[in-house]
Amino acid sequence: MPLWTLRGLRRGVVTTRYPARPDASAQLLPTPPAFRPEVLTPDLADRLVAVCPSRALARDGDMLVFYVGACTACGRCRAEAPEAAGASGEFELATTAREHLIKRIPLAGRPT
Amino acid sequence: MTAIQPSVASRPGLSDLLTGFGQDAAGDGPVITLGVPVADLEAAVRRIAAYPGARLADVFASAGSPAGDGNSARDGSPAGDGSPVTLRLVWGLDADHRYLITESLVEGDSYPSLSAIAPAAFAEECEIYEQFGIRPAGGRPLNRVALPPGAGPDWPRLGRAPAEPPRDVHAPHHVGGHAFEFPFGPVRQVAVESLYYGLVTSGEELVDLYLFTWHKHRGVEWRMRGMAPGEALFYVERTEGLGAVGNSWAFAAAVEAALGLEPPQQAMAARAIALELERLYNHAAATAALCQSTGLVIGQAAAEIALERLLRVNAAVFGHRYLFGVVDIGGTRADLDAAALRSDLPGAYAELERAADALLTTNSFLDRLEATGILTEEAARRLGLVGPVARATGLAADTRADHPARPYGEFPLAVAVADTGDVLARFRVMLTEAAESVRLIGEIGRTAAGPGLALPPGAGPGQPASSGLGWAESSRGEALAWVALDGSGRITRARLRPAAVRNWRGFDDACRSQNVFTDIPIIEASFWLTVAGTAR
Repeated sequence: MPLWTLRGLRRGVVTTRYPARPDASAQLLPTPPAFRPEVLTPDLADRLVAVCPSRALARDGDMLVFYVGACTACGRCRAEAPEAAGASGEFELATTAREHLIKRIPLAGRPT
Repeated sequence: MTAIQPSVASRPGLSDLLTGFGQDAAGDGPVITLGVPVADLEAAVRRIAAYPGARLADVFASAGSPAGDGNSARDGSPAGDGSPVTLRLVWGLDADHRYLITESLVEGDSYPSLSAIAPAAFAEECEIYEQFGIRPAGGRPLNRVALPPGAGPDWPRLGRAPAEPPRDVHAPHHVGGHAFEFPFGPVRQVAVESLYYGLVTSGEELVDLYLFTWHKHRGVEWRMRGMAPGEALFYVERTEGLGAVGNSWAFAAAVEAALGLEPPQQAMAARAIALELERLYNHAAATAALCQSTGLVIGQAAAEIALERLLRVNAAVFGHRYLFGVVDIGGTRADLDAAALRSDLPGAYAELERAADALLTTNSFLDRLEATGILTEEAARRLGLVGPVARATGLAADTRADHPARPYGEFPLAVAVADTGDVLARFRVMLTEAAESVRLIGEIGRTAAGPGLALPPGAGPGQPASSGLGWAESSRGEALAWVALDGSGRITRARLRPAAVRNWRGFDDACRSQNVFTDIPIIEASFWLTVAGTAR
């Protein structure tokens, strides 16, 4: 058992208060998408809704409704339309109210 | 892994076995399918079970006839009373490098009892009764497996509801003296999966144990019906998060076998690297869990540092800590960062090695593992156990060696085995396998590995219905999947059989072997199973 005590002392503290410092590995985490309204058309929005396996996306008239709480950051929307969806880089998603996680994105893109 | 393999020579014994079923040759493929009339099923099971090296790997049913598997109007949709059910038994003929599937059409309400011959089939007999309403002959009580008490005929099922609900059967134990049942679960600790233990004890010694997993059942197989395979893959990956690569490889291989797809070589190499990374982090997690269960907090921290570093390697190499999104139908989807693999993996694995070396010289730790939770090789064979749990009993079964898919056939594998069957043996097998995984990653990583997809044939009304079996050696052992697709390429029946499905049935045997209450967490950590994998 002394072996483990010495080992623990030698290694020191590896846990820290959050966030003690920026963590480079956070950049590797999959994150929910960020949509570009200027290229989102109704057709494109419908395609994105169709590929979302966790039903985080829905159409409401001229809005794309994105429920971040249901998003699993699977990346299917980004693969479907990389011009319209990119990684947000945002993984600290906790809020005090559920409605803060629902984003309404105007479909400002022009149909081609 | 994939069912598309080069020709494998048959042993004379296999020819004899098949001749007995009126089939002249085994063919070239790694999967042999036999039609067996239900009247002959009992004799067939006896004959196959007696064949050297044969093990019952899975039993499942589909609504409709075998030929109707791809017919969405019949198979995969709830059948009415009296509709036939196809019963499939999947056997691993490991020495022959083949799988054998028997198909039997059951037109009545019962079929010959399989568990009377192959005890490992009891869990599936219960499941089939719950989902399809047919039962083995003999009237043996059948347990509740998936659906909660009070589940009526309108609950989602793969077939028709049973005439009577399954019993809330506790393990069929007979306890004399002052033994009593101690209920534990399904909520056990924070962030631990739902699992109900029925512990039968005389005070401290464990007399018997039974498990209920239906609290967590999610109906994944039911949910997958009618989906395109690519759509269903999302569910397969999440069926058992700690086995995402193994299960999704097995499922993708089943679809590829059904569609005749052959993934590019570099994609198969990338899959293998991901699978070995999954094995590494799971074995590190099991090491940490063993330390936690024995109260060795600093050892737990050391193993968890290694675990965290390995998860970061996963993220750096494939973009996801738990390797989701790597496997796709027809190949792999995720990019592979070979430079990150070369630079980060050695340090992360060295962290695990250092922790393991220290643990293997800590007598107070080893004393808790030694002679705890013993399983015999006979029990492992009888119950059809797989993975490190089986290998720790001396059973050298590993689908990477027995049913090698690309690229494993090109890289000889040293299968890790031990012979004492206790927790220490399972721990040693995991450590040896972790070293072997690092060696394999190094060798496979020197070949071209990366994303690539074989495109599926154009789906349409003219396409024939098809089915396929796939497999992979996940960190917990052999993962199997079977799918039937209709002419439009949509799933009519998907069967997922993660390794956890097999190995939970060995857990109570291991716990009963001269163990006390405090041994149970240690045994559970050494099995390193998931409830999600079995309550899918």
